[in-house]
Amino acid sequence: MRLARLLSRTKLYWGLLIICLIGTLTSPHTSSGNNIFLSYANLTDVLRQVSITGLVATGMTMVILLGGIDLSVGSTMGFATVICAMLLTKPGWTSASAMGVPAAVLTCGVAVALAARFIFMGLARGSDASAGRRREITLSSWRSVGIPGLLGLITAIAVAWWTAGQVPVKFGVLGVLLVAPCLALVLGAINGLLIVTGRMQPFIVTLAMMVSALGIARLTAGQDNAVVPVYTGTNATEAFELLRSMLWGVLPVPSVFFLAAIILFGAILRFTTFGRYAYAIGGNVEAAKLSGIKVAQVQLTAYLLSGLLAGIAGVLFVAQYRQGKPDAGAGLELDAIAAVVIGGTSLMGGRGGLAGTFVGVLIFGLLSDILQLQNIDSNVQLLMKGLIIVCTVLVQEQNLGQLFSRWRFSRSREAGADTKTAESHRLPSATKVQFAREDLDEAS
Amino acid sequence: MTVYLPAGWSPAKAAGKWKVGFSQCTTLEPWRVQFNKDIQAEAKNQPDVDLVITDGQDKTEKQVADCENLIVQQVNVLLISPKESAGLTGVVEKAIDAKIPVIVLDRNVDTKRITQFIGGDNVAIGKAAGEYAVKLLGGPGKAAGNVVEIWGGMGTQPAHDRHDGFHAFTDKEPGIKNLLNNQSGDWKQDKAYNIMTTALRNNEKIDLVYGHNDPMAYGAYLAAKDAGRDKDIKFILGIDGLPNEGVTWVSKGQLTATFLYATPGAEGLRQAVKLLKGEKLQPVITLPTMLITKDNASDILKKNGLL
Repeated sequence: MRLARLLSRTKLYWGLLIICLIGTLTSPHTSSGNNIFLSYANLTDVLRQVSITGLVATGMTMVILLGGIDLSVGSTMGFATVICAMLLTKPGWTSASAMGVPAAVLTCGVAVALAARFIFMGLARGSDASAGRRREITLSSWRSVGIPGLLGLITAIAVAWWTAGQVPVKFGVLGVLLVAPCLALVLGAINGLLIVTGRMQPFIVTLAMMVSALGIARLTAGQDNAVVPVYTGTNATEAFELLRSMLWGVLPVPSVFFLAAIILFGAILRFTTFGRYAYAIGGNVEAAKLSGIKVAQVQLTAYLLSGLLAGIAGVLFVAQYRQGKPDAGAGLELDAIAAVVIGGTSLMGGRGGLAGTFVGVLIFGLLSDILQLQNIDSNVQLLMKGLIIVCTVLVQEQNLGQLFSRWRFSRSREAGADTKTAESHRLPSATKVQFAREDLDEAS
Repeated sequence: MTVYLPAGWSPAKAAGKWKVGFSQCTTLEPWRVQFNKDIQAEAKNQPDVDLVITDGQDKTEKQVADCENLIVQQVNVLLISPKESAGLTGVVEKAIDAKIPVIVLDRNVDTKRITQFIGGDNVAIGKAAGEYAVKLLGGPGKAAGNVVEIWGGMGTQPAHDRHDGFHAFTDKEPGIKNLLNNQSGDWKQDKAYNIMTTALRNNEKIDLVYGHNDPMAYGAYLAAKDAGRDKDIKFILGIDGLPNEGVTWVSKGQLTATFLYATPGAEGLRQAVKLLKGEKLQPVITLPTMLITKDNASDILKKNGLL
């Protein structure tokens, strides 16, 4: 019984192990007899290849955990690649990118976020007040944000004005690194604002953003630029090459970003109030509201982060493939959702986590790699990827413990019940929510 | 074969200018962008033509709607470059029923009633690439080497034509070994990069890369460069020959050669004007290809103001 529970709890990791095993067994060998699949170069290649999808899936996990969805990430990434490529190659943009623009955008972003944060405390009043009382927007709450926010904005513009073009182009790379993600973050913030204040369906809002971000990206690139090529040679691009290299010859830089994101946001979800709130909201929005959680803030933050991560993914795309293009992320949102779902995060929200997403992304990437090493026809590859999604999710949703116990034990029902409760381990501090949920159930 | 013209059609000038409608299927690809540039440049040379361009945004239904819109505007000639033939045939017939002659560019439709078809011959271009590849690998009869071929979209005719043409030459050579089995880069640089990364991992010796278009060939080049093997793989061939892409890469020595797949933009508009002036058209025009190597690349760049 305990074994069944353990198996059920770790089934995703077993899946990863099985995929690795298949890869190792079927892998072709080099002429000197080395296993190509297991080679360090191949594995780091896989890690590099999944990094872009992985970063996007990281943001997507948080959005889905909250019971939302973000369809705009592909277009947002495309937009970021265009901005990034233009900053690197267009003469006017390049000088502007040297610190001035990033300083402005970054500070603006902080100011807007700060302002939004406090405005939302007011806007989401009835639901926010812990005792269920309405809280009015008072003058003091406005003053406490509005004024620092405004000051931040003014400083930002002043700094931008002063620094524009004063900093060597070499540092423009830093600008690129900041500007493109910042603008992507703004798109994410628009998503979040519309969902939270407009009380619109995340599906609809992000669908609209998916379409319009592509439009913005194409307008930015210019009517007759389907692709903004980034040629090597200029100062900025040489420094930019670092983003494609191997960190100390060990890890590809894109994957460092991916791993950092997983660790950082994984820790945030597991150990912080934000994380607890996220699970609570995903589990039951009404209960979360009743227990005084600032739902609007948390939701806004999730969409904001999703945009930001898509922006960073965009910069990495440009570094890797030396081009920015509006449709660079076409279909990316679906890959990301697939990885999140394979990782065991429920599309209903409230259940799952980033460890699962990490494994999901790896399963997807390793599978592609195995199929590619086997030199399997592209169309068959698509079919097999579809099958893997279905199979993994089937195993995820059907309790594996139940499957096993059905074969071996007569006490199958008990085993099933056992593993059901075991599921709650996925909610780090779920007790509060569970109570809230039970309360509601009783009330209704 | 006779040229089909809608019965009762007469080229009527409205307000001193002919109105020519052009339905483009997408502008999300560089080749299509060049296509639009070519037709616009030609329109500047034709003072009595008013050109309307629509963008189907890579969707059949949007392109059908675009065409219907052009029919309602009563254009004198409809130029169309269909996304795919089956979905656009209906609306082309509708235009012909509305007494508008149709000139089809690049990809054909399933009706005999069109006035003219203008396009490149992908099989011929593939053959040119195959012949050149055999020459690079040692000449007919003794060519030898490992070849990586990166397909465009598997479901598209041009990819199959470019494949078939190429293999018409390389399959005759027993020394040539094909390393990949139908790997599609979907015409994209980033996908080709990843396919090439794995191919490099899998094979210690690669002699020639054949990309079904330039961005994919360039993506493969980048992968080889990042793996430090761009010097070992001497020959990377692409197709399209756009001035700001393939030709630039060839002139920098990153690609060995590319084969021009000219856009039918300029020729299409010239033919439309001929038709409007009452001249006879031939039913099919096939645009020729051209081998672009380091020798002639700079001339092409100069001609396009890029050097």
